[in-house]
Amino acid sequence: MKTIIYTCPYVPAEWIAAHGLRPSRIMPGAAGSTSSVGRTEGVCPYVRGFVNEVIMNTQASGVVVTTVCDQMRRAFDIIMRRCKLPAFLMNVPSTWQSVAAHKLYLDELRRLGEFLVRLGGKSPSSCALAKVMLEYDTARTSVLTTRGYLTSSQYSELIAEFNRDGKSGITTTINEKKPFTGGIPLAIIGGPLLREDFGIFDVVENSGGRIVLDAAETGERGMCARFDLRRLRDGPLIELSNAYFGSIPDAFRRPNNQLYNWLKRELACREVRGIIFWRYIWCDIWHAELHRLKQWANLPVLDIDVSGDEQALTVRTTQRIHAFLEMLQ
Amino acid sequence: MNNAPGQITLEEWDERYEQLRRAGLRETGYGGPLGRHVGDGDRRLLKLRYDNSVASLRLWNFLLTEEDRLHNARAEGKRIVGTMKDLGTVPVMAYSLDNVVAFYPDGAWWIPCVMELSAGLLETADSLGIDESFCPVRAMLGAFVTGAHFPVPDQLVCSVGATCDDFSVIAQRLNGLGYPILWWEIPHRRFPEVDEAAVRLPGGFCAPKRQVEFVKSELERVRAALEGLAGQRLDDKKLSAGIQKANEVRRYLAELRHITFTAKVCPLPALEMLIAEMLAIHFCSDRDETISVLKELIDEVKTRVQAGKGVLGADAARIFWVNPVADLQVMNLLEECGGRICGTEYLFSHALDTIPEELPPAEALARMALADPMVGSSVDRAERICADIRRFGSEAVLISRIPGASHCALEGEVIAEVVQSRLEVPVLEIEVPPVTDSIRPTLGTRLEALIETVKERRKK
Repeated sequence: MKTIIYTCPYVPAEWIAAHGLRPSRIMPGAAGSTSSVGRTEGVCPYVRGFVNEVIMNTQASGVVVTTVCDQMRRAFDIIMRRCKLPAFLMNVPSTWQSVAAHKLYLDELRRLGEFLVRLGGKSPSSCALAKVMLEYDTARTSVLTTRGYLTSSQYSELIAEFNRDGKSGITTTINEKKPFTGGIPLAIIGGPLLREDFGIFDVVENSGGRIVLDAAETGERGMCARFDLRRLRDGPLIELSNAYFGSIPDAFRRPNNQLYNWLKRELACREVRGIIFWRYIWCDIWHAELHRLKQWANLPVLDIDVSGDEQALTVRTTQRIHAFLEMLQ
Repeated sequence: MNNAPGQITLEEWDERYEQLRRAGLRETGYGGPLGRHVGDGDRRLLKLRYDNSVASLRLWNFLLTEEDRLHNARAEGKRIVGTMKDLGTVPVMAYSLDNVVAFYPDGAWWIPCVMELSAGLLETADSLGIDESFCPVRAMLGAFVTGAHFPVPDQLVCSVGATCDDFSVIAQRLNGLGYPILWWEIPHRRFPEVDEAAVRLPGGFCAPKRQVEFVKSELERVRAALEGLAGQRLDDKKLSAGIQKANEVRRYLAELRHITFTAKVCPLPALEMLIAEMLAIHFCSDRDETISVLKELIDEVKTRVQAGKGVLGADAARIFWVNPVADLQVMNLLEECGGRICGTEYLFSHALDTIPEELPPAEALARMALADPMVGSSVDRAERICADIRRFGSEAVLISRIPGASHCALEGEVIAEVVQSRLEVPVLEIEVPPVTDSIRPTLGTRLEALIETVKERRKK
């Protein structure tokens, strides 16, 4: 089966799968010195990692890039010039409160569908799309129900695995497991994590904490809402659009109060006592939220800026996290 | 009095101003010696070199008195719109209403340069979490907070979507501080799909018809907001009249650019040309006066060209400049190093193209907004640069990076590749912070190297 790679949470895996192709939301590694982007200064390490991953990828049949950040939008130009992989740039509007913005997103899904058909996919019937959506919804729910029963590292890796491989491979059961308790409850908030960054969860646990809210883009925050079954039956594509475009909160949206509403609810219900703010240098979108978040959250915030080299979790970062947790004891 | 074209210092200008005044200089209400603006804290003016024509004196005075005009407009009961990021679209709508003026708070990005960092705007932005890793446009945030540089607009309108992240996040920060903003979406301009209805945009780009329709619907939201603010209808007739007037400005600018960039001897320096081009985006808060200022500049350059006179040597290297500079003095530096400007893409080429007058006005504006070089791919932008290089006979391209700007990190590589592959002209990238004093020798060396390369190539 042909694989379509992407990294943005606003690309619905269900839509690609319903076309008979394999969606894979990849998690790039740090590009380090092997970057395919000529410059490093000023370029977001995640964008560098993504471009590198796409250019090096020999398995994919197509790549979908979105416009959620300016550098990613411009990375599309680099990808188009540096590799032969068919590429699609999907407009994801920054505004979200108007009907026109939702309609634009929906139009883009249809256009993405045409791209997928050109790559050998088959345009799905409403029935076929609804079926795939239900399968994904079930799998997604099963992933979400493991929260609290796995270590935070295992849980976030499970989400990453679900994103990468879709519904297959989710075999976790929680029936006989006891929920994890203990550790100072923390949230991690920010953009997506690179592969190398996943050690953060263990660092936190080894320092006496526990990530109870993975609000990175690669975590729970980047997952769509559950589908409404009635609406799914009546118009699956519109429901897909609602669940993704209508519900995933992000810093890039204008205005981005939806993100703060979501955080307010999740931070409170998980009794979070501190926030690790994870951002890449040169990522303007998340960097600009740091100060506001500190003023808004009424919780201690630890700013971790990541340069995206191959040693993301430097001794300095580890020690900062350790000190942060010591302070929260 | 020496009336030969040339570049002079501020001190020399003030002496010249007195001579002109004694000789019967007639001025507009905002006229006066340029040196008086230093008293407002504009210390960079002391270090610039200026064109010595009366037309340029008027241009500078017009630019440097904009804040007064905005305050006067408010005092007269006019409504003020702060239009952000779209660089040329919303002001055409706003100035179609007789009781509205519009300006770009974005322009505050030059305050740290003009006031040589003395205004504290960047420090204010720092204190709000927007540090030096962001584009100097962060000065806008400081300008809003201090309230010392322009009146707080009655309405803020900001385009988002296919825009730079720096501006988008700074506007969001402003919004978070309690300034309401009307956001409107400008999607990334894409190529039409096969069999998809397409339209030609001003400037030559192409876009799908449905994207034009989407932008038109967004601009209709802006129109409704402006009508609410003005308390009057902005019907198609008024909007068409506004477009015609904007086109008048654009035609004069096109003429000025053509004469200046193609003249054998450069008739007007880079700095004055940069300011003249900027007038297109919001008319420096007075549309009619913009037209008068441009007319006078055109008369001046025509006179100079006819006389075969100019401000630089005839052998100056013909440089195409990409992106505006945060430090205005760098435009002087290019000329001191032996270059002249023959072609520009200062991020707002769409504000220089005439707006189609034969179309319904909202659609015409939508097409213009989508023609923004920054909302499409860097390849599109590079193609437009190539077309202008051919038109103006530029011999090299200088890409001026804006520190921290999200688009500058990746676009330079693409633009350089396209330009070199199409035209085989040398391309150089430099980075220009708001005050370049400490890196002036390095910048100068790089500019000289480019100019030497151009001159060597002429020998082949």
